[in-house]
Amino acid sequence: MDSANLGRHKVLIANRGEIAMRVMHACRRLGLDFVCVTTREDLHSGHVRLARELGGDQAVYTITSYLDANELFSVADASRATAVHPGYGFFAEDFRFARRVVRRDRPLEFIGPSWWVIRDLGDKINTKRIARSLGVPTVPGSDRPVYSEMEADEIAASLFEFQATQGISDGVIMVKASAGGGGMGIEEVGGFEAFRSVFRRIRNYAKRNFGDEGVLIEQRIFDFNHLEVQVVGERGGKKHVHFGTRNCSVQSTGKQKRIEVAPGFAPGVVPYTFDAARVLDEITRHSLAMAQETRYDNVGTWEWIITPRGEPFLMEVNTRIQVENGVSAVISRVNGGPVDILAEQIRLALGGSLDYGQPDIAFDGVGIEYRLVAENTDNRFTPCAGTITRFGWREHDWLDVYTQVPTDVPYEIPMEYDPNLALAIVWGADLAQAKERGLQFLGELVLEGDVAGTSGAFHTNVGFLKDKTGRLLEF
Amino acid sequence: MLNIKELLDKVKASPYREIVVRAPHTGVVEFAGLKQGDTVRGPGGDYKEKPGTLLAHLTREKNRKPIMAPEKGEVEVIHSRHEGQFVEAGEPLMTIKHYLTRKEVIELILQEALYLFRAPERAKYYFVPEVDQKLKVSGKRSVKVHEGMEFLIVSRMKRETPLAYSGPEGIIYSVYFGRGENVDEGEPLIGVCPEDQLTVIQDVVARIQSEWEEQE
Repeated sequence: MDSANLGRHKVLIANRGEIAMRVMHACRRLGLDFVCVTTREDLHSGHVRLARELGGDQAVYTITSYLDANELFSVADASRATAVHPGYGFFAEDFRFARRVVRRDRPLEFIGPSWWVIRDLGDKINTKRIARSLGVPTVPGSDRPVYSEMEADEIAASLFEFQATQGISDGVIMVKASAGGGGMGIEEVGGFEAFRSVFRRIRNYAKRNFGDEGVLIEQRIFDFNHLEVQVVGERGGKKHVHFGTRNCSVQSTGKQKRIEVAPGFAPGVVPYTFDAARVLDEITRHSLAMAQETRYDNVGTWEWIITPRGEPFLMEVNTRIQVENGVSAVISRVNGGPVDILAEQIRLALGGSLDYGQPDIAFDGVGIEYRLVAENTDNRFTPCAGTITRFGWREHDWLDVYTQVPTDVPYEIPMEYDPNLALAIVWGADLAQAKERGLQFLGELVLEGDVAGTSGAFHTNVGFLKDKTGRLLEF
Repeated sequence: MLNIKELLDKVKASPYREIVVRAPHTGVVEFAGLKQGDTVRGPGGDYKEKPGTLLAHLTREKNRKPIMAPEKGEVEVIHSRHEGQFVEAGEPLMTIKHYLTRKEVIELILQEALYLFRAPERAKYYFVPEVDQKLKVSGKRSVKVHEGMEFLIVSRMKRETPLAYSGPEGIIYSVYFGRGENVDEGEPLIGVCPEDQLTVIQDVVARIQSEWEEQE
């Protein structure tokens, strides 16, 4: 993997926490200079400490908010950065930001897909349209806002019919205001008889609140598995490879992932009622075909739902590096050696070439990623504030832990950001060994804290993760 | 009973508050030519529509933004080494010595007299809509709180939970937090005055009104 010409770059890491730390390490590995940002609330985060260790005091700038683009550009200019890594969240999927990065008076490289790729695939409706034009199956429902009642009736009827063919007796569909968001203007409908009045209500609501009466009608997804395909492409968007599949079905009630497993199924080990190997093959093929068609030009994730009958439907494309990229990397080998997908993302974004092909990539074993979160899993996964007083784990050659939480001093969880504490990636030669090692890690883990001085109110999801480990990859 | 004279004497012994003017965001600083010892004005006018004295400009992404004095006072320190330089968000630019106003002294002393309901944890706080509405329409002192009444919303990590009042029944006399501001654990949120003590509190206010000379 060539890293020629990368040395002149200096990367502004426009993110926080563990992803900022992983980007720093990746920059180091590629011999790149970097600069990182922090806020007043985040001064004790491990990413600030690591940045100082690796790059000195001048590698850290305090800004008012990670969500203020002017702050980021201002720091980029002051530090003479030449490229921006958005991490995940914040600006990662904001095509206007990506466009501004490359078009401003002092242009920078954007470490991610080109802005038009983010724009085209960031729009769920547009993604569906592209997918359908390629014969890629998508979640049944409207692929654009519906205004006509007759059309709406037709879509609703086809959805209930689809659910009936899936053997779902109490089918539910979702009616959403197209211009809405954040849970506003969404209703579930349990039967066709009730549909029309809900449709009218949401349409009026949308008109009143958003000035547009467009409504989306979609499948309510449950009892399905959530799989994804890791795609990597070079600038120019002509050459793509994949780094396998992941199963992300273990989620919180808020639909946030808690455990990811790679590969996505274990055919031959876990019994399935469908041909799991064929499904994995199919979603990989479809994802690569779409990447080719859209000239996708960096890392990206194609997210799929798989029905209990083994039918895949494309849900969306995430045009960024994901939290769980490491669980794919841990099972992937390029020409027999290890791969760092994050470093590959940076290298390719800065113009490096994809000098290997799919035949050079092999997969070995099973990876499990646990997301350690301070939250009360018994009470709707409510995040927990407080201070981490003890945090530690036993090192193993099959374990990687990524965290911004220091292990030597107490750490107050900042309330401004989400309560993720750490990622732990476990590797095993097969599913059984990976699960066994996962449980061993969780058993050896020490994670204690207190809220306002008492330890009773402090919650983590470790128990939940243990419970879920037993049945991973089972449908 | 509150010893107002003693409290007032304490305030009179150090009648100043130091205001550190910090860079609100990153950017390049140009000071407005003030010197140590210069007097500055805070925002004035009936609606605070007249801005305070210009202290400096901060330029970021081609946008030149004025920074004004938040209160009346005397320039104590100017960090002139930042002139023409890029600064990080929160960097101290100036210190202003501010002579306490009558209103501030009243608030300060009232904190001793009122029952203070404190933040149970570091978070952002909002009044529940009904209370918020009433405070806005009828003003402070229009809302009565009692034990167990859910009157605040605690917001942290994007989740919101209601918070019930506990303490003596009374009216909300003072509010110590701002919208969208983080409040540290133990900091006072509101000051409550039991209704039967309203006259006592009003006496306190009247005494300070007459005894505290505002500096012109």
